[in-house]
Amino acid sequence: MLIQYILVVFSFAVLLLFLRKRGTTKSAASVKLAFMLFVVFGIYAVLRPGDVTVVAGWLGVGRGTDLLLYALVVVFTFTTLNAYLRFKELELRYARLARAIALRQAEPPVSAGQGPAGAERS
Amino acid sequence: MTDWSEVWLVVPVYNEGQVIEDVVRHARQTFPNIVCVDDGSRDDSAAGIKAGGAHLVQHPVNLGQGAAIQTGIEYARKQPGAEYFVTFDADGQHRVEDVLSMLERLRSEPLDIIVGTRFHGDTAHIPWIKRVVLKTVVMLSRRTRKLGLTDAHNGLRVFNRAVAEQINITLNGMGHASEIVEMIDHHKWRVAEEPVTILYTEYSMAKGQSLINGVNILFDTMLKSKAH
Repeated sequence: MLIQYILVVFSFAVLLLFLRKRGTTKSAASVKLAFMLFVVFGIYAVLRPGDVTVVAGWLGVGRGTDLLLYALVVVFTFTTLNAYLRFKELELRYARLARAIALRQAEPPVSAGQGPAGAERS
Repeated sequence: MTDWSEVWLVVPVYNEGQVIEDVVRHARQTFPNIVCVDDGSRDDSAAGIKAGGAHLVQHPVNLGQGAAIQTGIEYARKQPGAEYFVTFDADGQHRVEDVLSMLERLRSEPLDIIVGTRFHGDTAHIPWIKRVVLKTVVMLSRRTRKLGLTDAHNGLRVFNRAVAEQINITLNGMGHASEIVEMIDHHKWRVAEEPVTILYTEYSMAKGQSLINGVNILFDTMLKSKAH
């Protein structure tokens, strides 16, 4: 089937892109391994959709397509929550950075009537 | 005890150009040390802060009220001789008299932090919708009830150096009030409430927190406790 060719080519393209772009020391090895396994599973599922249906049957799900849909929902929820938490953390770091800049450029009152207020300015 | 040089007022400011100079000027008649954190205002708040005679700390971008309070506290606690800290709203709804009685109490009683409460005696001056929202927030928070607090979202707080050193607000937005309650519980700070009067002027009413914001606060607080 044509769709199988398209999906397999697409899977390889994604794998190549992933390994090229994030293949630096930065991304963890476990993430890379997991992703490769995922792509291999994807290609397998594309070539032999019947097998996925068999697995679905074991789990009490009617069709392989349904199983994939359920898995997708779970993964999507997880990813969304993960992204939200990452975003919050990033926001906090961003706030700390902005705070550091703000504190560095603090301006004591010019006409400070009291002695100590102006004295601590570095 | 008329010398308040060991007291620092921390005022988060966001687009309060209309009133900030008067608020600062008025508070300065009593308290010599005021730090205003301009949270990336788009108006002339910074000029007003300077004209009023307060220390100006400017966030390069808008971060939110929680972040502004944290910045102000970090600035104030670095100042020599700073012993007592006050979080004070920029819109003129807090009264200096209330701050004074809270400070007297903090000095004479074994307390770390005193939080203002609007719910005492006759509460008719509080707009009813606000009353419902604030009461709901308190009811939903187990911690707030445990600590015996009736008005966790009151912006007027007075605390000592120990609290100022430990405080670490991570919720940048409006969720910080609940976060402070959490910290009171976690750090075992000795807490008390002081009845205060909020001046609901037309200006502060227009700027105040809306019902929608209450939903945001609840959401932030819930997700935060999950994230731990």
